[in-house]
Amino acid sequence: MATLGALIAGGYGVPLVMLMGLVLPGATIAGLAWRVARVAFLLSLPISISVGLVSVFTRAGETVLFVIGPFDATREGTDFAAQVIVRLFVMAAALTLFGLTTPPRSLIADLERRGVSPRLAFVLGSVVGAIPALVERSRDVQAAQRSRGLDTEGSLGRRLGGVLPLVGPVLIGSLHEVEARTLALEARAFGRPGTRHLLWAPPDSGLERAARWLLLAGLVILAVATR
Amino acid sequence: MTLELRGVSYRYPGYRRRALESVDLRVGEGAIVGLTGRNEAGKSTLCLVASGLAPASIGGELAGDVLVDGESLRVLRTHELAARVGIVFVNPASQLSGITGTVFEEVALGPVNLGLAVAETVARTRAALAAVAIEDLAERAPNRLSGGQTQLVAIASMLAMRPRHLVLDEPVAELDLEGRRLVVEALRALASGGTAMLVAEHDRELLAALDARIVTIADGRIAVPA
Amino acid sequence: MGGAAAAATVIVGLIALGTFDATPEPSGIPAGANSFMLVLAVGLAVGFGAYAAVEWLQTRRLDSIARQFDTRTIVLIPIAIAINVVLGQTVASALKLPVYLDSIGTILVGVLAGPIAGAATGLLSNLAWTFLLAGSPFGSPYAWPFAIVAAEIGLLAGVFGYAGVFRSRTGTTPARLVGGVAVAVLLLGGLAWYGVVPFYRGLCADIAPRPGGTPQGLCFQLFEDGPIDPLFVTLAIGLAAVVVIALVALVLRLARDRDLGVVYVLVAGAACGVVSALIAAPIAALVFGGVTGSGTDLLVAAFQQAGSDLQTAVLQQSLISDPIDKTITYLIVFTLLGAVSRRVAARYPQGERALGTLEA
Repeated sequence: MATLGALIAGGYGVPLVMLMGLVLPGATIAGLAWRVARVAFLLSLPISISVGLVSVFTRAGETVLFVIGPFDATREGTDFAAQVIVRLFVMAAALTLFGLTTPPRSLIADLERRGVSPRLAFVLGSVVGAIPALVERSRDVQAAQRSRGLDTEGSLGRRLGGVLPLVGPVLIGSLHEVEARTLALEARAFGRPGTRHLLWAPPDSGLERAARWLLLAGLVILAVATR
Repeated sequence: MTLELRGVSYRYPGYRRRALESVDLRVGEGAIVGLTGRNEAGKSTLCLVASGLAPASIGGELAGDVLVDGESLRVLRTHELAARVGIVFVNPASQLSGITGTVFEEVALGPVNLGLAVAETVARTRAALAAVAIEDLAERAPNRLSGGQTQLVAIASMLAMRPRHLVLDEPVAELDLEGRRLVVEALRALASGGTAMLVAEHDRELLAALDARIVTIADGRIAVPA
Repeated sequence: MGGAAAAATVIVGLIALGTFDATPEPSGIPAGANSFMLVLAVGLAVGFGAYAAVEWLQTRRLDSIARQFDTRTIVLIPIAIAINVVLGQTVASALKLPVYLDSIGTILVGVLAGPIAGAATGLLSNLAWTFLLAGSPFGSPYAWPFAIVAAEIGLLAGVFGYAGVFRSRTGTTPARLVGGVAVAVLLLGGLAWYGVVPFYRGLCADIAPRPGGTPQGLCFQLFEDGPIDPLFVTLAIGLAAVVVIALVALVLRLARDRDLGVVYVLVAGAACGVVSALIAAPIAALVFGGVTGSGTDLLVAAFQQAGSDLQTAVLQQSLISDPIDKTITYLIVFTLLGAVSRRVAARYPQGERALGTLEA
């Protein structure tokens, strides 16, 4: 389960449509097909538009389909753009399925069970909590600055100018928090070498294990075949 | 189970001035020593030095020696220190690990880090939660607690490690009367079990309730030794 | 010892680069960029391997690496990653400018904790962005291929930090200030001439094919001859404005603080940007068709329209936006480190060395 997303995302190639046969059934079994499709669509939409515009109109090609102003749409460009968009969409779909079915905590517990060091597990575990905390902190700072008359909305130039006054306090506050948390962790024997006995492990069935090996084998075959 | 500071002077990294100057202090078996003094007098620094985190984690320069049951803290690594001396810091919120989803996991983190077997970890965690009467918080998210609740979680987290020596920096600052009563009871129970305890606290009433011997610190020196 | 080993890493990298420069490029720029990336990666791997081996042989331990991962750094890394992700997400999508600002955290760790810790932060940052955060609104399926670039950024920041680039140098005498600026201009000019300009020569030839054999090298010709795209004019004005604003701010700051450190940071940031561009461009071209969904895509479109093939266009885009981005990021980090209490910074493994010893 944990490696599913990574495997598919790693196995990009032109005949990727085939892999759609893997992600969609998986999502259907999990009852998430619709959500996966929707989220993946939203995730890949902005970049796909960019790919489309950039490649369709500006990529050099022989066959011109139509012309708008100085830009000519070529068949080669369209072909290329379609390939990239398909690839990006599949990547997004596989990772969305992975994300929706695998809570970060079980991924981390699983990694530690497989021999990843507790320190790395701590880093990964903290990232999950640190991001909302950071967003909250930036909101506080932003609100404080707005009350002092600093503009954080409005024109592009103003927003760019607002980056540093926002980043500064947020970051310095974070560094002081690091200090406190470091002491608190060291007071609780963090960093003791040797294994720890975790309180729980995510369930892992024989079927899932077999599926992982099968996918891994498929990836290797694919990589060799497309060479 | 004794905690002893012998001629301790300490300088933080990046400072010229020493925060502590020639401090001698002894906490005997089952004794509670109350440390009072104004802000910036050196209470928190003394707590850090007594727990060994300064200089082991913070760096800086230590003269003299800190002895735990006659053993010098100087030669120990931080995780070895943690098994011997527990410390509860002033700000309970920054004491949460930030990686646990429930209060139970949070309190269990210390025992898990110590490498204890699961059954032992669970037993210690249950006991620690019960000691400060927060069993009902066990499944709550640690970052969604009130200040007082967080403080009790921080204390329980330390109790679960069962240190034989305990350093507490203003342990009841955010607690209501009921919370204070629980903490006082828990600490007295520990002391009667032999734990040596150093409590930095403004509140003389609390220290009186703990039957603590009071020591005053000013400008990094022990001003009024008992 | 650690210094010698870190230097060895860079030297091996540079030697590898030297051989790259000597080889002719039959197929033009893309092949060059790809082999550059490969050579750089191999160079770094070899350098790092040698570094670790030497230390292992001398001490039977890897302390200089382990030291970079004390608890304080371990606690800082997730915060740094969060800063990368949150800023990268908001800046890249909201500002629509050719900057990313998604490496502030990585550079911070590199400077304060050391090169290996910085590289690890960069690597983890992009991997976490994709895999760990896949289900959250902050996840991005498209960050992981650039993990190696992020690692390089952290590594370089660590080396620059070790070398003391981020130290504040206030109170420089005006004479030395002028001298320093002159040296910096020379260095930046050299960097631009050898690291950036060669990749635009082909483009200029395409746009302005002149039979007379006029010297064609600088891409400024783009805006003089041939059919000029209005897009280019707009872009040029926009870029020039950014550069001018940055320079004015810099000169003001130099005059006010008399802090030559700014100049050091500027040169290091630009160098980091060029290296990052050379590594990132082939990845962007191969995996994403050259776009990132942010403001930089406009540049790719412009260069492709001007006749470059995809890989070249992406490289040309990266060589503009990455140095700008990294220079801005370095300046931000420098400013932040100046504001952070030295006493806090001094507790990190490389903090005292990176920011200088304290006077007070």
